[in-house]
Amino acid sequence: MLLLDYQNVLIESLLRDRFAEGASPISIDQVVSDFDGVTFHISTPESKTKILVSISVRCFPELLQYGAQSVLEREYGPHIVPAEQGYDFSVQIDLEALPADAEARDNLVRRVSLLKRNAMAAPFEQAFDEFAERQEEASKYTSESAPQGLLEGGEVRAIHYREEEAIFIRASHDRVTVIFSTRFSDETDRIFGKVFLQEFVDARRRAIQNAPQVQFRNDPPLELQDVPGLEASRDIGYITFVLFPRHLAKQRREETISHIQTFRDYFHYHIKASKAYIHSRMRRRTADFLQVLRRARPENEEKERKTASGRTFRVQA
Amino acid sequence: MAPQTPAVVMDNGTGFSKLGFAGNDSPSFVFPTAIATKGAGAGAGGSGSGRPAVANKPSFLTGGAGPSSHLSAKRGTEDLDFFIGDEALAASAGPGYGLHYPIRHGQIENWDHMERFWSNSIFKYLRVEPEDHYFLLTEPPLNPPENRENTAEIMFESFNCAGLYIAVQAVLALAASWTSSKVQDRSLTGTVIDSGEGVTHVIPVAEGYVIGSSIKSIPIAGRDITYFVQSLLRDRGEPDSSLKTAERIKEEYCYVCPDIVKEFARFDREPDRFAKHTVTYPNGRTAAVDVGYERFLAPEIFFNPEIYSSDFLTPLPNIVDTVIQTSPIDVRRGLYKNIVLSGGSTLYKDFGRRLQRDIRHLVDARIKRSEALAGVKSGGLDVQVITHRRQRHGPWFGGSLLGQTPEFRSYCHTKAEYDEIGPSIVRRFALLGGPGST
Amino acid sequence: MARQSQSLRPYLQCVRASLTAALSLSNFASQASERHNVPEIEAKSSPELLLNPLCVARNDNEKMLIEPSVNSVRVSIKIKQADEIENILVHKFTRFLTQRAEAFFVLRRKAVKGYDISFLITNTHTEEMLKHKLVDFIIQFMEEVDKEISEMKLFLNARARFVAESFLTPFD
Repeated sequence: MLLLDYQNVLIESLLRDRFAEGASPISIDQVVSDFDGVTFHISTPESKTKILVSISVRCFPELLQYGAQSVLEREYGPHIVPAEQGYDFSVQIDLEALPADAEARDNLVRRVSLLKRNAMAAPFEQAFDEFAERQEEASKYTSESAPQGLLEGGEVRAIHYREEEAIFIRASHDRVTVIFSTRFSDETDRIFGKVFLQEFVDARRRAIQNAPQVQFRNDPPLELQDVPGLEASRDIGYITFVLFPRHLAKQRREETISHIQTFRDYFHYHIKASKAYIHSRMRRRTADFLQVLRRARPENEEKERKTASGRTFRVQA
Repeated sequence: MAPQTPAVVMDNGTGFSKLGFAGNDSPSFVFPTAIATKGAGAGAGGSGSGRPAVANKPSFLTGGAGPSSHLSAKRGTEDLDFFIGDEALAASAGPGYGLHYPIRHGQIENWDHMERFWSNSIFKYLRVEPEDHYFLLTEPPLNPPENRENTAEIMFESFNCAGLYIAVQAVLALAASWTSSKVQDRSLTGTVIDSGEGVTHVIPVAEGYVIGSSIKSIPIAGRDITYFVQSLLRDRGEPDSSLKTAERIKEEYCYVCPDIVKEFARFDREPDRFAKHTVTYPNGRTAAVDVGYERFLAPEIFFNPEIYSSDFLTPLPNIVDTVIQTSPIDVRRGLYKNIVLSGGSTLYKDFGRRLQRDIRHLVDARIKRSEALAGVKSGGLDVQVITHRRQRHGPWFGGSLLGQTPEFRSYCHTKAEYDEIGPSIVRRFALLGGPGST
Repeated sequence: MARQSQSLRPYLQCVRASLTAALSLSNFASQASERHNVPEIEAKSSPELLLNPLCVARNDNEKMLIEPSVNSVRVSIKIKQADEIENILVHKFTRFLTQRAEAFFVLRRKAVKGYDISFLITNTHTEEMLKHKLVDFIIQFMEEVDKEISEMKLFLNARARFVAESFLTPFD
C-alpha cells in the first residue's frame, strides 16, 4: 500500500453489505476509530433498517467556526439527524428509503465513508474560496497600487486536530499556504522524518515541477508569527505546503483537499513502513551472520531432522 | 494523548485474523491471515545480499532523475507492494503474486510477512495511528517468550504503539464466557475447548495460567467436518459436492444429536428431517442437493471419530476428561465446572449439551467405581459445559471485554517502559481480569 | 575484494593478525574462587592473567579493541558513523543483534563502553569451533556491517524520495 485511502474502509464495507440486494437487516453497534483521533459510532438504535453513523472529532468546534455545518449539510442534506449524545455529528440512513439505482447507492456509500474527510474539509474550502476572492480583487490592481493588506494574505485558520499537532491554513491572493505541525515521539522517527521531509522539499525541484512547494523547519514559519503558543523544538516539525492556483482550480479542489488531508498520516505511515523494511533487512542479515558463524563449527555432528509438524527425530544408527 | 481512544484488539490465528476495537461485541474485520507478495524471492529470506530486486517503479520516477540512476536502482519498493486478507486471496489468483500464511500452528513463523501484515491491518483497515492506541494481541498457549519479544520489538520499534498487552487466547476465551448467564463468578479457572479450522485444542487454565503440561490437541476440526460432509455427498452422487457446498451445508444444517441410532430411526420416521439445499451458481443456474444423515453425522466425528478417521480414535469427551485428570488435583473441580467452548467448530446446536452429558457419564462412572472400592459416599462432582453467544470469536471478544476495562492500560507495558528496559519486558504481564480486578 | 578502499585492506589485515594471535586460549580455573571457571577478562580478579589490550584503529570513528586474557578475549568494534542517520541505524542494528545474542554464542549482550558491539570469545568457543573460522566471522562481520549500514541509509534516502514524489505527484 502506497497511498492511504481517503474513506473509512469499515464504514464503506459495512454499508455496502447492508445495501446489497437481498441483505437481511441486522443490528449493528460498533465504535471504531479513524486517524487523527476521530471516533465513529455505527449503530442501529431504533430499528435494524435505520443505520446511524456518528462522528466525533476533537477539533469540531473549530471546524464549525470554519463553516463545517454548511459543508456537511451540502454533502448529507436529508440524512442529517441531531447529533448523538457524546458525538459531534450524526447521519442516518434508512435502508427502506434507499435510492433505487445502483449508482446513487454507491454514491451514498462513498459519501458516508468520507464523513471524516468532509468534516475536515470545511476550513480548506473556506480558504480556497477566500483565495478566489482575493485573486479576483488583486487582479484589479497592479502590485504597487494594491490596497494595504490585500497582498499579504488573510487570517490563519488553525485546526488542532491532534493533541500536539495542528493544521494551519492561510489564503492569499496568489496561493494558499497549508502548514502542518507534527511531533515526533521517538528519536528514530525524528531522524527518519528529517530524511523524508528533505525529499519532500527537494521533490519539486527535481522531478515534479508542478507540485506544491514544500518547506520544512523546526521553528514556526513566518506565516504563523501571529499565532500564539507555538513552540520551536527539534521534536516538532513545521511542514509548509504552498498550493498554487493550479491546485486550487474548481475541478481539482476536491481531490487536493482529500489528498493533502492525508499528509500527516501518510508521512508517519511511511516512516513506520520503512522501519518495518529495515527490520526485515536486519533479520536477513542476522541470518547471514549466523550462517557464517555456523561454518566455524567443525562438521555438524548429527543433523536434526524435522517433520512437517515440527517434531524432530533421530535416524537410528 | 486523547484518553478516549479505544484499545485495538488483534487476534491473529492460523486461519483467520480478527481485528477490532475494545468495547465492541464483534470484531470489525475478520479475514484470512494471508499475505500476497510480489514475486517469489521477496521476503523469503536467505538470499545473499539481502537487497530486494528493483521494483517496477512508476515512470515519473525515472524522468528527470538522470544521473542518480545508481540510487533509483536501489529504490526497492517491493515491500510496499502486497495485499492482506481477502485481497491477498484475490491477488494471488492473478499473476505475479504469491500467497503466504505467516502463522503456522498458531505461532508466527515468518516475521517479515507478519510485520507487514500488521502494518497493513493498522493503517489500511483499522486506520489508527498506533502512537495513540493501546494494543491487545493474543498468543497461543506455550508460545515461546522469544516470540513475544519479537512481537514487542515490532509493535514498539516499528509502530511506536502506545502500549501493549499480550494475552493467551485460552484465557481470553474464558473471559468471554463471562457473558453467559450460567457463569456466576468471573473466575479464570476452566477448561477451554478451542476448535477452529485446522485443529482442536483442549486447554486447562487455572487462575489465569495455562497448565501447559496437560494441553491436548485433536487433529479433528472444522476442515475435517467439511471433508466428511463432502465425502457423504459424493457417495450419494449429489449434483454438487464441491468443498464450498459442503461447507455451506455444514454451517447451515448440521447439529449434534443425543444418540445416532435413534436419530437414524427418527429420520426414517419423519421424512421432513431431510432437507434440500439449493446451490446458486454465478451464471444463474441452480442445483438442488439433498441433505440427509450428514446433518447429525458430521459433528458426530468429535464424539465417534472412528466414523471418519482411522488413526485418531479417542472421542472428545474422553480427551477432556484426560486433560482434567492430568491437571493438578486441587484445580480439577474448577476445571470440570467451567468447560468453555470457543471457535467456529463448536457452534453446532446441542454440541455443549452432548459434551456435558458424555463427560458427566465418564465422571459418574469413575466416582461409582471409587465409591465401590472405598465404601464411602462421594460428594459428587459438578460438570458444566458453557455455551455462550460470543463463542465464534471467543478470544477476540474476551480481549474486547478486558480491553475496555478502566484498568486495562495499567496492565500494559508502555512504549516508555519498553525503551527503558528492552524487549524482555514482555516476558511478564500482570494477569488481566485476575483476582483483585473488577 | 575489489570494492575495498585502500586503507580498509591493511586495517582488516591487521585485525586478522592481531585476533589470531590473541585467540590462543587455554582452560584456566579461577584463582579467586575454588571450582569456578570464569572468563578472566570479565572477572578481572587476577591482574597477572590479563594481557595488554590492543586497539587497532583505521581512524577516529572506526576502531576495534582486543582485550586478551589467559582464557578469554573480548573484542569490541566501533562501527563507522558519519552522521545522525548512520548513528541511529548502527544503534538499531546492534540492538537487534544483541537481542539475539543467544544464537550467536560469542556475542556479548552489552558493548564495552565507547564501542558499538562486543564479542566475548572464551576457550570453550575456541575448542568447539575452528579458530580461523571464528576470525573469519569477525572480519566478515566488520565488513558487512559497514556495507549494511550504508545500504540501509541508501534505502532510506531512496524510499524517502519515492514517498515524497508519490505524494506530490497527484498534485501535478
